[in-house]
Amino acid sequence: MKIKLFIKRKFSCLILIALPLSVATCSAQDTQIRGFAEVLASYQDANKKTSFGLGEQDLFITSELNDRFSFLGESVFKYSASSPTYFDISIERIVVKYNIKGNHNILIGKHHTPINYWNDTYHHGRVFFPTIYRPDLFADHFVPIHTTGISLQGHDLGKLKFGYDIMVGNGIGSGETADNDNTKSLTLAVSIKPMKHLRIGASFYSDKISKGAKDSHSSMNLVKDVTQQLITGSLSYFGKRFEFLSEATSAIDKTDSTGTKQSIAGYAYAGVRLNKFIPYVRADYSQVPEGDLYFHHDTRTSFTGGIRYEINYLTVIKLEYGHTENDAGKSSGITAQIAIGF
Amino acid sequence: MKKILTPLFAVSILILTALAPAIGQTHNLIVISNAKGAPTELSNKELVSVMRGEKQRWNDGTRISVALMKSSTSAGEETSQKIYGMTGDEVNKFWLALVFQGKAKAPVFFNSANELETFILQTPGAIGIVEGSPDIKSKTTIVDGKKTL
Repeated sequence: MKIKLFIKRKFSCLILIALPLSVATCSAQDTQIRGFAEVLASYQDANKKTSFGLGEQDLFITSELNDRFSFLGESVFKYSASSPTYFDISIERIVVKYNIKGNHNILIGKHHTPINYWNDTYHHGRVFFPTIYRPDLFADHFVPIHTTGISLQGHDLGKLKFGYDIMVGNGIGSGETADNDNTKSLTLAVSIKPMKHLRIGASFYSDKISKGAKDSHSSMNLVKDVTQQLITGSLSYFGKRFEFLSEATSAIDKTDSTGTKQSIAGYAYAGVRLNKFIPYVRADYSQVPEGDLYFHHDTRTSFTGGIRYEINYLTVIKLEYGHTENDAGKSSGITAQIAIGF
Repeated sequence: MKKILTPLFAVSILILTALAPAIGQTHNLIVISNAKGAPTELSNKELVSVMRGEKQRWNDGTRISVALMKSSTSAGEETSQKIYGMTGDEVNKFWLALVFQGKAKAPVFFNSANELETFILQTPGAIGIVEGSPDIKSKTTIVDGKKTL
């Protein structure tokens, strides 16, 4: 009994000592919470209906832990008909960064796969999106948008402002806490910024998607292992007057029974800045051959045209027309969006 | 008539004289830094690179912290134009995007030159841009051989 009392007192003393210390540590920390949200109104010709809707609400936290370590967390809240509360919460990023030397860092956690410009730059930051919706390349999960793993990253090196990412992760089909197989995904990405506003990038992604994992639309389980390689190129220019962004990915999926299937997907965006108004267009194209086990066989073309009005850096309004044609038919619609940052 | 016009003319001249410094007013912007980290001289290209978050550490290994006047201040707006070639609003967007990508540590924004200088004095590796005044006690960094931007 006495021992228990002694331990209890010692423990209370430790708490009393530790509390001011932890408060001191917290006050030295530089933590910021920011976020993005959007509200939409759309008319779709398929159901001849106009609807208002909520988009995602994204919260991101950055924290400077000490001279070398920093943290970035991102969570998204969005509507889900299957959830009992009608909303789902997803952890989009948890990244702990360690600065090794100069502009070279090690990052560990759940990342945006540094596969191309859109995924790495905008992702859930709707207020940054040049259009309302993501290109089909992302919306159709043609590229793996998240990877849980470790990466070595460098940026703005030398005269060409060279950047690189070498990432090893659990890969497609894995959960958030464990890998589903013994093969790790590998992402290699490089970029240069040879002149102001211009960025040129290329990347290579390799993974084995194991039997039993969901396909790209999460609708079916794979019946065979698929070896996947993605090669991506991107070109972006966001100048004072003109904006241009184009990215394309070639996917090579290989299985023992169906052989090699090559698919392609890409898009090109262009806009002209007229003070705070930016009229823009975007064209998307994707083609998946018959027999690909991971992607759905389809040929799809989309056209998007719209106007963006940037009230300030935290409030953007867009009005957009979109038309899509694929093997299933045609669809079009008009959408208005107000995207905010806070 | 002359009696009315003469005082009116005089008042107009007086108002114009008073307004003259405010129209197209520019500040003598200077670069100040903590004693540790930043060199005493930088080229304009190097300064712009640091201010755009393209460099994480100084050559001595000290981590860089950027301090800026808020874009709502006239010194902040002028810094945005001179260093970033952007409006204050565009600079805010530029930094928000960079921080969201996890590529850079957010700068610290201030309302007054005194607050900014206090931060510079207390933070190793800090560098900032402020309107020059005789009260400045921090180390001044010379840019392209000049004391002011």
